[in-house]
Amino acid sequence: MNKLLLTALSLTATLFASEIPLAKVQMHTFNKSVALNAQVIQLSNAQQSITSLVSGHLEAYYVKPAQRVKEGQKVALIESIVVSKMSADYLSLKKQLAAASKNYDATASLYKKGMTSMQELNNQEIKLSKINAQLTALESQLNTLGIKADKLTQATANFVLYAHSAGTVSALLKPLHSSVSVSEPVISIVKNQAYYIKSFLPLEYATKVKLGDKIVVNYADKDIITHITQILPKVDEVTQRVVVLSSVDEKVEHLFLNTYLKSTVYFGDAKEYPAVKKSALSFFNNEWVVFVPNEEEQKENESKNKQEGEEESIPYTLEVVKIITQDEDFVGVEGLKLGEEYVSAKSYYVKSALLKGSLGDGD
Amino acid sequence: MLEKIIELSLKYKILVLVAFIAISAFGYKAYTEIPVDAFPDITPKQVVVYTESPGNSAEDIEKLITYPVESALSGMAGVKLIMSNSIFGLSYVSVFFEDSMDIYFLRQLVSERLSAINIPAGWGTPVLGPNTTGLGQVFWYQIKDTTGKYSLRELKEMQEYVVTPLFKSVSGVEDVIGWGGDEKQYNVLIDTKKLQDFSITYSDIVDALQRSNQAAGGQYLEFNREQYLIRGAGLYQTLDDIRNTVVKSMKGQSITIRDVATVEPGSAPRFGAVSIDGKEAVMGMVLQRTATNAAKVVERIQKKIETVNTALPEGVSVETIYDRTEITHKAVNTMTSALISGVVLVAVVLFLFLFELRSAFIVILSLPLSLLIAFLLMDYYNLSANLMSLSGLAIAVGMIVDGTIVIVENSFRKLHEEEGELTPTKKFNIVYEAAKEVATPVTFAVLIIAAVFIPLLSLDGLAGKLYAPMALNIVFVMLGSLLVALVLVPVLILLLLKPTGSSENVVMRSIKKAYTPLLMFALGHAKSVLIAVSILFIGLAYLLSQQGREFMPELNEESIMYRVIAIPGTALSQSLQTSKEIESYILKNYSKSVSSVLAMIGRSEKGETAQGNYMEILLTLKPNIEDLEALTNRMNEDLEHHFTFVQFVPTQPIAMRIEELLEGVKAELAVKIYGDDQKVLDGISKEIQSAISGVDGLERMEVESQLGQAQIKITPDYLALARYGISVDEVMDIIRNGIGEEPISEKIEGIRRFGIVAKVKGAKKDAEAIKKVTLRSKNGALVTLDQICKVEIQQGASFIKRENLSRYMVLSMEVEGRDVASFVAEADSIIKSKVKMPAGYYIGWAGDFKNMQEATQKLMIIIPITILLVILLLYTAFNSVGKAMIILLNVPFGFIGGIIALVMSGIYLSVSAIVGFLAIFAIAILNGIVLVSFIDELRLKFPDVNLKTVLKDATLLRLRPVLMTAFTTLFGILPLLYASGVGSEIQYPLAVVITGGIISSTLLTLLILPSTYLLFYGKK
Repeated sequence: MNKLLLTALSLTATLFASEIPLAKVQMHTFNKSVALNAQVIQLSNAQQSITSLVSGHLEAYYVKPAQRVKEGQKVALIESIVVSKMSADYLSLKKQLAAASKNYDATASLYKKGMTSMQELNNQEIKLSKINAQLTALESQLNTLGIKADKLTQATANFVLYAHSAGTVSALLKPLHSSVSVSEPVISIVKNQAYYIKSFLPLEYATKVKLGDKIVVNYADKDIITHITQILPKVDEVTQRVVVLSSVDEKVEHLFLNTYLKSTVYFGDAKEYPAVKKSALSFFNNEWVVFVPNEEEQKENESKNKQEGEEESIPYTLEVVKIITQDEDFVGVEGLKLGEEYVSAKSYYVKSALLKGSLGDGD
Repeated sequence: MLEKIIELSLKYKILVLVAFIAISAFGYKAYTEIPVDAFPDITPKQVVVYTESPGNSAEDIEKLITYPVESALSGMAGVKLIMSNSIFGLSYVSVFFEDSMDIYFLRQLVSERLSAINIPAGWGTPVLGPNTTGLGQVFWYQIKDTTGKYSLRELKEMQEYVVTPLFKSVSGVEDVIGWGGDEKQYNVLIDTKKLQDFSITYSDIVDALQRSNQAAGGQYLEFNREQYLIRGAGLYQTLDDIRNTVVKSMKGQSITIRDVATVEPGSAPRFGAVSIDGKEAVMGMVLQRTATNAAKVVERIQKKIETVNTALPEGVSVETIYDRTEITHKAVNTMTSALISGVVLVAVVLFLFLFELRSAFIVILSLPLSLLIAFLLMDYYNLSANLMSLSGLAIAVGMIVDGTIVIVENSFRKLHEEEGELTPTKKFNIVYEAAKEVATPVTFAVLIIAAVFIPLLSLDGLAGKLYAPMALNIVFVMLGSLLVALVLVPVLILLLLKPTGSSENVVMRSIKKAYTPLLMFALGHAKSVLIAVSILFIGLAYLLSQQGREFMPELNEESIMYRVIAIPGTALSQSLQTSKEIESYILKNYSKSVSSVLAMIGRSEKGETAQGNYMEILLTLKPNIEDLEALTNRMNEDLEHHFTFVQFVPTQPIAMRIEELLEGVKAELAVKIYGDDQKVLDGISKEIQSAISGVDGLERMEVESQLGQAQIKITPDYLALARYGISVDEVMDIIRNGIGEEPISEKIEGIRRFGIVAKVKGAKKDAEAIKKVTLRSKNGALVTLDQICKVEIQQGASFIKRENLSRYMVLSMEVEGRDVASFVAEADSIIKSKVKMPAGYYIGWAGDFKNMQEATQKLMIIIPITILLVILLLYTAFNSVGKAMIILLNVPFGFIGGIIALVMSGIYLSVSAIVGFLAIFAIAILNGIVLVSFIDELRLKFPDVNLKTVLKDATLLRLRPVLMTAFTTLFGILPLLYASGVGSEIQYPLAVVITGGIISSTLLTLLILPSTYLLFYGKK
């Protein structure tokens, strides 16, 4: 029906030849993306608390909150009776070991000369290894506490806390000069490189994203690229949206936790469709249509032109299209062949020429 | 009684002179004071109710507004017709009442009814349209900024808050309507993604904005014997006030508008724009109140402009675009110059015939005096001087003098015949006798002329309104002439006229010489001559019935205007661009003739039913264009060729408004298809089109397409809404306020008010963006519109027209080379047999044709009654049915010339031409009376003489007055035939008919009437 209408249409070349642009249907890759709301978060394992391994008295902090620390950096000092006893014990055991070692050497030379019994030698050996074992245990304990036992020359009560990994001091948890009990957190450190973007996706998108898809967040006018590392199995109760986590891989200064951001999800599997420019679309009789030049008519006109030379009419015909997908400038459509010519812009004028007959005379 | 009047006036001659001097003085005063207008007020009694309902679709507006309004108004007394048009954002209901009702009373009744209508909240309030006439837009102006400093928005503000109030204060101004420019509003651009961040909803923001913009009065306190008033000044002052509005507070921290939105000045969505010479502009239209005079209102506005300009900033001024007085003056000038040249020509003719200064002076003097009496009456009856009423005078000019001529002539003859010395008493008696003799025929002649124009007064609608003032004025001036002839003329004759020698001059002598043999021949072959003429008449009457018809000739307003229509659904911005292109094209290619081009796009602020695809383009022409018609034709063709994607309909400013008054259909002929479903109507219209496309005479057919408006329809999905705990009104609110930009509050700056709009950021980028508009429920669920609604694009109605509560669609057509009435009959029967109408669907014929048909039908009843009345008058005058019939027989003879003239000049038969025929009717009867009464007189005097001789002598003796009345009428009308100014074309058909009619009627009166008389009375 529409075709019939259009064939009857004759349009002057002066208008259309110069003004109506044509283009060819091309394959276009659609990188589907969607803008969402997201929040900067940190997973719980990224938050470190430095606990004291011993009970004691918090003597000093070497760091201030928000200070960046390196791995192994001193962060706090605790005076601990336990440490003091251990170091004293260690020193004493070391002396005992030296003495026991001497005793054993002496006993051994006596035994060679046959001046003492085998049993005595064995006793000495047991004693030595006992002390040795105690010392080794203590040494390892001290080492665990970060105290270098071999360098210990005198007993000390100082227990120094070190940062386990690089990060930022997020909080000093205990007041100075307070007592600290065993395994009580003293300082919390936020590990670097452990920020995540929590994006809230409507269900329809959630089914399309895959691990590894790119999510770009805009933070303080900077685009930060992240990649999806987790799609949580439960929707967010409040927002009724699927939560997707993507890790912030690059280093971002001043990234504040819990900030809400705009995030854009780019779906990984880009698809190719035959596509036309968005400006080609026109809504006609309840359907989307694209106007295409009517070749037969054109040929006819050309022959006519040779005879008449003046009036030329370039009719267009319309093709109903189904929109599959779209991005900023292009729409992927069904209903047009690849390489087919179409009216790429100003479709309004073509539509006008078609409908003009049924305008009435206004009001 | 007539004798008494003549006797008394002759007796108290000084008193009569003084009285007429006084009448002249008052008449002149009336002449200077009579309101001037281009046209009579042709507006039907109509009350318009319009309801602005921004952002809503035609379908919803019809359902929720138009229908309730219509049904509330439909049961009222005096309602003739209710028409409505529901378009995007506006419901327009127009109620036509009987013309006899008072408009203020009707408006009162309508507003009473309106108060009872329930329209859902937020859908607008019905208001009465301005109380103005259809031609009420008397003055258009532009707010012109020569500095280039001011934006359109600022100019619009000036228009609304400076110019409008000042012009509204001018007496006679009903309203001022602005068109073009942007309206400022304050946009609170909400980023709906942030709603989640702060746990708030869209309605929280709306509430916050509404709550925070408040003022309150705190009464007063007394302190030290004085009173201190207390004021809570909480209205927004600055944009920062808006930004700092608290939406919610938690844990001692407040979330403000600033956190979730940006606030900036912006422009309200608009439905109209104006562009002048390729640049957007701001204009205004002043509406005159009903029953005020356009010229006077405009005059007062012109005076006010100075005040307005001082109130505007430097460099900005009000500049006239269109001024109704211009055309008014042109039209009135056309008519007055026709009137004046008519008077001069008549005077010359009189002098040539009478060849005597004194009698000529008396007759000529009667002209201005009768006119002045007519002006007095016009003033008394509040008739304005306009194209139609003045043309009444112009038509009558030649007939005014007839009575006077007869009396003067008779007196002159009697004085001449009198032998011996003329004593004053003798002269008194002669004059009295002479006047008395002809008083009765003169009076009846005048009364008959008046009676002949009565049918025009009975016409309904547009024709009646147009032609009634003309008929009235003819009656006025004829009554004036009668007064002059019976009262003043005898006095003047008594005072001035002297018996002189031969009153026969060379001209008359030679005419008589040629005429006598002709008359003798006619008398000799009375029967065959009568039969020949009758056959001629019947033949011509057939020709007339084949003549094309039109309702009204087109008025040439000496301006060019186009209605330009783009396809339905065209965006305003596109139309604006098209308009600009058309403007530059015209300015470039017609720089010699066109000085400026104005385009009005869409609709103005109040109550018009045009949409974004509709443009009106008005050209301001340079003075002294030689051939306007050729220019118009060339331009029409040129524009149509160059801008093929729109439709051009050439029109003119007043013609356009008149077209709009024609109750909905502008075409010559149209079929209105009534029914409920627009799609079915569309189908029926297509069927009808194909069914009657082969009917002979059909030139063009057009359907006014009501569909074609693309809509993004958002239908709530109740299940989905239930899932998320969101109610429909929340969705509708975000559609209305967030997307549709309906202001939720107002920022008041002095007296100026600007909407505050809670707009969803980026929602109107494209159809996809609408789908992705995010809502947050009170519980925190975040959803996009397409999750809870079905969002689809579909084709909908661009407007819905209804008539008497039924939807209809118009199929207009043009018929050529064939009588429209017969075409309608044929087409109607074809439609009835071929097109199957579903139940509830029916058709009706409408258009210009219908108006013409109605007028014709009315005339079919009125004219026989008039003829009866005329016969009655004639019978009373002559006391004989036979003589009345003889005189009446004269009428068809008069028509012969009229028809020949009409057919030869190729003019359509219009109401104007019909008026011409009425005038001939009068003239023919007048001629007949003059002759028959004299024949009777002679027969009485010489009862023994052969009738044939009596007839010959009587006719020869009466030749001069008959020719004189004929020639005066002819020369009185000639200026209308040759007039070329504005309005002349309306009178042209009339002038053509009368000219032809006078010639034939006079000739045939002089030849056929005596023969008829002979046939009737010869045997006795």
